[in-house]
Amino acid sequence: MDRISWCPGCGNFAILRAFEKASQRVMEEGYDIAVSSGIGCHGKISDYLNLPSFHVTHGRVPPFLTGLKLANPKLIVVGFSGDGDGLNEGAEHLVHAARRNTDITIILHNNGVFGLTTGQVTATSPKGRKSKSTPYGNPEYPINACQLMLASGATFVARVFAREQKKMAEVFYRAMKHRGFSFVEVLQPCVSFNNFWDLRKEVFWVEKAESVYEAMRMCEDIRACGVFYAEEKETYEDAVWKSTF
Amino acid sequence: MNVCIAGAAGDGIRGAGVILGKIFGELGYSVFVYQEYQSRIRGGHNASVVRASEKEINSHGYYYDALICLRDYVFEKHAERLRGVLICDSSFGLEHEAKVEFPINETVERLNLPDISKNIAAISVFCKSFGIEAEVVKSVVRESLGKSAEEQNIEVVRAVYENLDISVGQIRRVGEGKELVSGAEAIAEGMLDAGLKFYYAYPMTPATPILHVLAADSRCVALQPESEIAAIMMAIGSAFGGERAAVGTSGGGFALMSESISLAGMAEIPVLIILAQRSGPSTGMATFTAQQDLYFALNPAHGEFPLIVASPLTIEDSYRLSGELLNLAWEFQTPAVLLTEKHITESHTTAKLGGVVKREVEIFRERSREVFRRYEITESGVSPYASPPALVKANSNEHDEYGFTTDDAEIAAEMYAKRMRKGEEIAKAVANLEPYVEMRNGKDWIVTWGSNFGAVKEVAEEMGYSVAAVRFMRPLFLPKISGEVFCVECNYSGLLSKFLEAEGVKLKRILRWDGRPFTPEEIRREVERWTE
Repeated sequence: MDRISWCPGCGNFAILRAFEKASQRVMEEGYDIAVSSGIGCHGKISDYLNLPSFHVTHGRVPPFLTGLKLANPKLIVVGFSGDGDGLNEGAEHLVHAARRNTDITIILHNNGVFGLTTGQVTATSPKGRKSKSTPYGNPEYPINACQLMLASGATFVARVFAREQKKMAEVFYRAMKHRGFSFVEVLQPCVSFNNFWDLRKEVFWVEKAESVYEAMRMCEDIRACGVFYAEEKETYEDAVWKSTF
Repeated sequence: MNVCIAGAAGDGIRGAGVILGKIFGELGYSVFVYQEYQSRIRGGHNASVVRASEKEINSHGYYYDALICLRDYVFEKHAERLRGVLICDSSFGLEHEAKVEFPINETVERLNLPDISKNIAAISVFCKSFGIEAEVVKSVVRESLGKSAEEQNIEVVRAVYENLDISVGQIRRVGEGKELVSGAEAIAEGMLDAGLKFYYAYPMTPATPILHVLAADSRCVALQPESEIAAIMMAIGSAFGGERAAVGTSGGGFALMSESISLAGMAEIPVLIILAQRSGPSTGMATFTAQQDLYFALNPAHGEFPLIVASPLTIEDSYRLSGELLNLAWEFQTPAVLLTEKHITESHTTAKLGGVVKREVEIFRERSREVFRRYEITESGVSPYASPPALVKANSNEHDEYGFTTDDAEIAAEMYAKRMRKGEEIAKAVANLEPYVEMRNGKDWIVTWGSNFGAVKEVAEEMGYSVAAVRFMRPLFLPKISGEVFCVECNYSGLLSKFLEAEGVKLKRILRWDGRPFTPEEIRREVERWTE
């Protein structure tokens, strides 16, 4: 295997380490994990994890995992996606996976930029941002990933900052153990094209909200971190098994 | 005997065609039912052509021995084809020398039944006037309709049989009862017999009936995701998980699947795609048949990788080939396309399905410390398969034997060649699977593919031509033919014709691209026109 090819100082290292820790804990409890990733810098994580994996195409992690989970319901399946991968090209899949409450976990590496193609704007880049594809400033408004997921029906929605590895590992663990669609947005600085490590001074943690509406308000501020929302609801797989057999 | 039932969308024309087909099947005839309908739910014009013969048939006919009209305005559209009896409501006042009229509408109203029962009334008028026993009609109606509709419709049959006293023919039992199946059912059954566990499809005519059949079958899980892209990605997910999965769509949906077909080729994931062609380009004529997507099916995605494409000749053949392709996809770990048509998926025929078996493939599923050598370089190109929890790594990127991403020139070249070598092995396997059908009747030939086969075979036998029909398109095996050659296809440029011409065959094209399938009469007319 090649050595890790992320830029030194990349937020992805922290996600990798935190996930290794969280997955270790889950496996020690006797579960099997399989992962998948899309296209972009984040996607390389499949190669770096010592777990069954499938590095699929751009944006397509949620339907792939849905099919895998249906074929082997005992697996805990986790997908890594980027802001470009999950919210530009693959937004449709994320919305529907959340709506179905498919029992999968999606970890979204949000660095606000297309890193691997040298810094173009994504769906989470701020309006006005200049990049090679937007030399006069980004004409689009950004999307708030957690709000989108809450509105779509996700039953576990959280945000963490890549700097806070311990907390991140804890949230990953909870997301994997949650039965239903879990979504964790990781604010992941890109040292080459969108370095926001300084955000550490501004990040603040909030407690779980009691309702989706409260959670929506809570995560409005992109610096807010924590598990915004969690509820138990029948999963897609359970509903499918019940109706088919 | 060739019977057309015509009316508006919402009149139950399709159902009436199926029921009449079942009645003929019950009497021992070989039956083919063609459904022509518009992309609308109410109104307009729909027709169902039911052909029955003592000989085995796989096509409907052009001229009608009987025309059953459920609306007065549809008569005009069909009058030219009618060479026999018109059956319609007494109030229509239609002009035709041989006709059987019955107060269909009045009877249904008097019995206080929904309008849709008029189709059963009309079929009953046909059956009574052609001497079919009421019990045969009743038993088919009972078996075909749900419990709630059953009694009411039996009532209609009784009312017609009691009050109609005309005889215009005698349809006799000619043998043991035969089952009527649709192309969609045959395709579904073939996949199930080959071990299908998951079917994912976004509704798209004319592939949708396969989804309906499988959704109601507890032998597999059939789901309707958000798009065709999601459908094939779910299938790839299930196959990575070690379970057989398939998807079904038409041209537009197949276009969306392109990227994932390439992924399946690269990651060596078996997946079967049912491509049911309809008239294009773009939305085209959604409910009309075509054979325009041959080149698209053969070259559906970026990069080079082994792909298996086959096209069934009949509904029965669609059962065999769908099963065969699912087996081949798993044996060679690569995508396969069943290239078929609306004229197969939405038509019905009498057939006995059976013979497809699942050929088991070894799948390693144990937990392990070592990464599984999923893409081991082998002579045949086929490597061992594994599914989680085995430590197996699959990849859309070029990869080494363990599935790790690489751009190393040597490894990449070797891995690419390994995948491509599977193509040679597939060709060896396909050579033994009747890649084309040949029937010798004379020195000159009619060549075709897909559903035209039924009509072509009949004409060729009558006129003394040999028949060649291509089943496997990739790898492509072309028949060795000489003499005068006709090629029959439902497209504008002659897509199969071009392949034959590249082999030096001189041929005459018999083509249509109006969304309608060929009948034997039309092919005969074309052949005669060329040979005049």
